[in-house]
Amino acid sequence: MSRLALTRRTTLKSMAAGAAIGATAPAIAQATRTLRWWSPQGAPAQLAAYKYQIETFEAVNPGIKVVFEATSDEGYPAQFAAAFASGQVPGIVTHLPSFAVTSYFNQGLLSPFNDVIKMIGEEKFYPNANRVYDMGSNVYAGIGIGNSAANMIWLRKDLMAKAGIAKEPRTWDELRDAARKMQGGGIYGAPLPYARNSMTSLVFICFIHGAGGAVFSPDLQPTLTSDAVVNALEFYASMRELCPPGATNYSWGESLTAFVSGATATGLYTGRVLANTLAQNPTAAPHITCKLYPTISANVPFWTFNDFPSVMIPKQFADQDAAKKFAAWLFREDGYVKQLHAAPGHVLPVLKTISESASYQNNDIIKQYRAEVDLMAEASAGGFNLGKESPQHQTNTKGREVIGSNVLAELVQKVALNKENAKTSAAWAQDRIAEIMKRT
Amino acid sequence: MSRRGPLGFALYSLFAWSIVALVAFPLLWMVVTSLKPQNELFRRPPTILPQIVTFEHYVKLILETPFPIYFRNSVILAIGTSFAVIVVATLGAHSLARFAYPGRRFLAQLVLFTYLLPSVVLIIPLYMLMVWLGIANTLFSLMLAYTSFALPFALWLLRSFMASIPDDLEHAALVDGASRMEAFFDVILPQALPGIISTSLFTFILAWNEYLYALVLLNRDAWRPLTTGVINMLTSAFNIEWSLLMAASVMMSVPLIVVFAFLQKHLTQGFGAGGVKG
Amino acid sequence: MTSPLDRRNHLLGAMLIAPTILIFCAVIVYPLVSALYLSLFRIATPTLTGAWVGFSNYTELLGSGIFWRGLRANLVWTAGTLVLQIVFGVLAALMLHQNMLFRSLARALILFPYFISTVVAVLVWRWLFNDLYGILNHLLLLAGLIDMPVDWLGSMPNAMISLVLVGAWKYFPFVVIAVLARLQTIPETLYEAASIDGAGPLARFWDVTLPQLRSVLVIVILLRAIWDFKEFDLIFLLTGGGPIDSTQTLPLLVYQEAFSMQDMGRASAVAVLMMAVMLVFMTAYFRSYGRQEES
Repeated sequence: MSRLALTRRTTLKSMAAGAAIGATAPAIAQATRTLRWWSPQGAPAQLAAYKYQIETFEAVNPGIKVVFEATSDEGYPAQFAAAFASGQVPGIVTHLPSFAVTSYFNQGLLSPFNDVIKMIGEEKFYPNANRVYDMGSNVYAGIGIGNSAANMIWLRKDLMAKAGIAKEPRTWDELRDAARKMQGGGIYGAPLPYARNSMTSLVFICFIHGAGGAVFSPDLQPTLTSDAVVNALEFYASMRELCPPGATNYSWGESLTAFVSGATATGLYTGRVLANTLAQNPTAAPHITCKLYPTISANVPFWTFNDFPSVMIPKQFADQDAAKKFAAWLFREDGYVKQLHAAPGHVLPVLKTISESASYQNNDIIKQYRAEVDLMAEASAGGFNLGKESPQHQTNTKGREVIGSNVLAELVQKVALNKENAKTSAAWAQDRIAEIMKRT
Repeated sequence: MSRRGPLGFALYSLFAWSIVALVAFPLLWMVVTSLKPQNELFRRPPTILPQIVTFEHYVKLILETPFPIYFRNSVILAIGTSFAVIVVATLGAHSLARFAYPGRRFLAQLVLFTYLLPSVVLIIPLYMLMVWLGIANTLFSLMLAYTSFALPFALWLLRSFMASIPDDLEHAALVDGASRMEAFFDVILPQALPGIISTSLFTFILAWNEYLYALVLLNRDAWRPLTTGVINMLTSAFNIEWSLLMAASVMMSVPLIVVFAFLQKHLTQGFGAGGVKG
Repeated sequence: MTSPLDRRNHLLGAMLIAPTILIFCAVIVYPLVSALYLSLFRIATPTLTGAWVGFSNYTELLGSGIFWRGLRANLVWTAGTLVLQIVFGVLAALMLHQNMLFRSLARALILFPYFISTVVAVLVWRWLFNDLYGILNHLLLLAGLIDMPVDWLGSMPNAMISLVLVGAWKYFPFVVIAVLARLQTIPETLYEAASIDGAGPLARFWDVTLPQLRSVLVIVILLRAIWDFKEFDLIFLLTGGGPIDSTQTLPLLVYQEAFSMQDMGRASAVAVLMMAVMLVFMTAYFRSYGRQEES
């Protein structure tokens, strides 16, 4: 084919061009101050918001150039390992989970964030918004760029009405009951994951807390052999038949789609449900609502899983000044609101002042689902995750390894799929996690 | 090959094409999905043909995303790598096939042993090497990496091909006063052309489709190839932009299929003659 | 070739192979040595620093079930998908060797699985396998062969079977290319002679075709075996190693150790063990085929 023949001739030229550009890039970087911004969230809608923030920043800071580069959500550990090992680090990184930040900080790879917090204005944050990044003695490893209430229960009011369920479930028994009633005719009760992946581990941690337990004690000893964990395992296993057959391989995307498309009667997710339902299943949109996820009994308080998508600055980056300035810039109202509107209800503001501002609230989805968004904002601001399971817990810097080892997911699979004994399996998991905490 | 009448031909074609259709079904699925609007994606029960045909995803991909840039980068990368592999491998294969020096036999075998190293372990040392060479984060570093991945196979392929070219041709050129290198260019290369085309196609596919190394070795968005560019842009743990992804996948695959349909004569020749010795 | 130029030819020959050697040393030898070295330490991946632990990475691995289960999964996967790749590859090549309508297009389309990126292919297959919107379950339900959607990826033995099948689909075209090419050079006269002797189609295949294919198949089997054994993307993206760790092959274990557990030292140890296993098989293979591989 002629195209191939033609390009063989231009190959040499292109190669020379490519090599030349590669060679001159470092030279260019030294003339202006270049700041690379890495984030795994680079969907087109968000890119537009980032572009605005970059342009407005560059206008006020001539001499600093910001370049956004999307990283892989799943593959970021490899990318960062290479970046840190070689010293070729970006200036600022956003949207990584909070336990990645604490883990890297623990290895001395990040700069403390206290300066940036001051630049933004400490009082503007929700109280406790950054406690998961508190590394002790008031040093912050990073901050959240948003909050996410990841374990809201999503309900279909029409399906509930059809099944004669008057009240939204508050306890696990009520949930199981309601799911059972609504299951049928091709619709399943819930889209819980039973896969060997991080979602299963993270979701199951919510259920452990829903039973009144925790993965670690406040001084970070594993507490998986508690009754609460056994109860959680048994409940989770009992829900298996109310979830689709493919739940054994579900990740966030499949679980989200299951609810949005109407295949399950309940969902477990963040506010992204709103935007996706409007786009992919508009007929269901008027009927969806969310509540805090049920716990084992009315005595056990709600526990919201906040993913805390983060902001962090690598220590090896030469131009710390520019990085900090830009980090603070990301939270200025005009740009921040644009970012939040790219995924309305999904990423919620960490700044109280933004939540209350008129420009933030001026969004169709947020307007249509006021009650739900407010609930999520409040819940996530008071939320926790494996990095910090309660106000009394020390910051856990080994969260990444615990999740990455898939021990909790395997535990769920053993009990729910292989029908192994919950107590012995929990003891097995306890040993594995103790080993991990010792190793790293 | 037996001779059949027209009915036999038609029946056989039908049979063969049903197998082909079965194998290529995912491609059909990709194409069909890319033409559906978003609200048709997750219908239950699933539909194959779209109710409404729309090209909006293709348009969005080409006009509103960096997709064309990624495409350009992949083309440069794949062609550059193929070129580099051909140059190094033809010279090397010629050496292995037609010269005598100590360690030659051993080298030929050693070449295949280099495939034993698992990729994950190779990544970080490779990146550090690129930093040391000063080409980290450039398309050139990917070209170098991919060249080394394709080289063992290319060497084996070309060596066996060249070994089957009769000595007389080269002797005739030498007798006429040509040097060994002149004989190489005038006699050997043209004879080895089918083998060279096979090698370049194999290398092209490798460079076009590779993901993990592109992910770690190259992070400048302006120079990202299609694989990492598309996946990073359209997928995250939480959300996959299916429509755009299917449109992108179709656009990534179809050029290869078209090129191959034209070149396949040369490609199969390359393998065939090369493997003759036995 | 005994001309007086021979001695100078040695030099030219060595020069021609020099770029190859250079690239290998840089890109293969250095990381290999690095892996061997790192496996004797406990290395934190992002900082690449750590403490000497001698052989304890190896002793811990060989003593834990996780390595042996990984090896078993790896062998099952490799053997399963390799056999299918070769068998389907040869059959498809035979089929496409015959005259048919639009043969060039058919050949191009049947190679399509090899042309797409593994990442994209896996995403598409996950969708096809999906219990709710996947066309596979839908068609099986319609045909009445099942009455509940099948869980293709989340339970055993389905997960391993699905992996083997998708792996075969993805890589069998490589075999097709090699075999089809070779088929085209088998002289027609050999078949005619066999027919005259009264051989039926099966006998013709066994006595004429297969021996001619042997030299190509020997190398193709070796290469595919090595590449299948090392396969990471396909398995990682399709099942993630689950359910539990029943499809966690050794490359996945290397990745988990390197980037989830952040221990590059342990990961290197697994990689070295992997190479040792492959080396053993390769040497045995070469020995039993001896001369054949020289072609």
